[in-house]
Amino acid sequence: MTFAERMLKIDRRIIFLVIGLCTLLPLLNPVGLPIKISPEVRGVYDYIESLPEGSVFLVSLDFDPASKPELQPQSVALLRHAFRKNLRVVAMTLWVTGTGLADQIITQVAREMGKESGKDYVFLGWSPGGTAVIINMGQDLYSAFPADYNGKPTKGLSVLQGITNLRDVNYAISLAAGNPGVEAWYVFGKDKYKFELGGGCTGVMAPGLYPLLRSGQINGLIGGLRGAAEYESLIGQKGKAVAGMDAQSATHLAIIVLVIICNVFYLSLRKAARQQGQSRA
Amino acid sequence: MIFLRRQMPLLITLLAGLVFAAQYYVPHPASEQLLTSVTKWLQIIGGFALILGVSSLFHVHAVKIRRKEAGWGYSFVLYASMLGTIAIGLWANGKEAVDGTITAFGWIYSYMMVPLQGTMFAILAFFIASAAYRSFRARSREAAVLLVAAVIVMMGRVPLGEYILPLSGDVSQWILNVLNASVRRAILIGVSLGTVALSFKIIFGVERSYLGGGKE
Repeated sequence: MTFAERMLKIDRRIIFLVIGLCTLLPLLNPVGLPIKISPEVRGVYDYIESLPEGSVFLVSLDFDPASKPELQPQSVALLRHAFRKNLRVVAMTLWVTGTGLADQIITQVAREMGKESGKDYVFLGWSPGGTAVIINMGQDLYSAFPADYNGKPTKGLSVLQGITNLRDVNYAISLAAGNPGVEAWYVFGKDKYKFELGGGCTGVMAPGLYPLLRSGQINGLIGGLRGAAEYESLIGQKGKAVAGMDAQSATHLAIIVLVIICNVFYLSLRKAARQQGQSRA
Repeated sequence: MIFLRRQMPLLITLLAGLVFAAQYYVPHPASEQLLTSVTKWLQIIGGFALILGVSSLFHVHAVKIRRKEAGWGYSFVLYASMLGTIAIGLWANGKEAVDGTITAFGWIYSYMMVPLQGTMFAILAFFIASAAYRSFRARSREAAVLLVAAVIVMMGRVPLGEYILPLSGDVSQWILNVLNASVRRAILIGVSLGTVALSFKIIFGVERSYLGGGKE
């Protein structure tokens, strides 16, 4: 077996070790490279920035713990921004497995910003039906969620004063790790009830949402940990996403180097095989 | 009986399909009220579907345990964890925290489900790296184009990549905004047209597989 063949069949534990080190070392020794802000993330930030105090901001945390590393920093940054702007925050989730996580996130950020449940924000929790919940909220918010996550009746909550359905929402954003998520909020929500919509998603999902972004169906997109890091930079409160960007930089670079190495060996083997074939002929 | 099994569901599907396709274009309060009621039904059905799903899962794994089929131990673990979580969840009234104090159900969620799901997802990074090394090869011209595009996007999406190759950020934005968006849009249009066609087939009773293959 030649060196190139041996390299192409390298023990995968070596690759695991390289990736492990590339993740761990930057987390222990952060470099803090500057993060360039993309227009899609700025779209979300600028829209929230333009909302007057007391506007209704709906955030749907449509993810479960599997996507926590990417979507929790996005949620925290967005909520910090909304609370700082004194928006009325209506939070919810379409993913039953994400209910506890969503509650933890909103409670933690609200406490940090000195906001009160029922007065400044409400966490509606989860309701069965998937996309039907969006339509139901569009028709009558109180029918979809008669009580909030803590069991308080939603009718009469001061944060929901003047809100009857999704038409009264000034800005909605879905932070999604799959379906139901951003697309469902567009198809069943914005298209019919005419509120402005933004999106946030995991890195792997982001390319799939670009058609919605380019056509103006969503006015901005926060994609993956990178998007979260950009948003943290925009609000001037660096958190877990900015800290994780160095690790992501290193792992991306490691994968690129691995792919280049494998191709160098692959092409050299192919060339050798071709030369062998010619000499035989 | 055949009427109830075959014609009746087809009739309901036809009526519901036509009425709700038309409802979208009728902003009359009665039409909106109809939609409100029906989406409420959908939510109730969704709740029952959850019960059906859980009971079906219990049934499948109960059979595996009873017959001691291969991997029945895993089914037993699933049974024990599901029953345990349901019991604790009911005891905690489905709440992860009460007045800021974590409940037993919240403990299971925060210290078992969150790390387990996080670990599963984190492992992906290692497998993706290994799979990329083994299979991401320029075997053809098309594969080479894909390879170059992937490398540029990977560089452009991280600060270090933009630092090493400053152009990669703008090029990756162009790839995502122009090439990716147009191809995705074409796929979306194709899928949407297919969905419309399938909907028509279901509404008019051409496609009947949803009725199941039971005996007449």
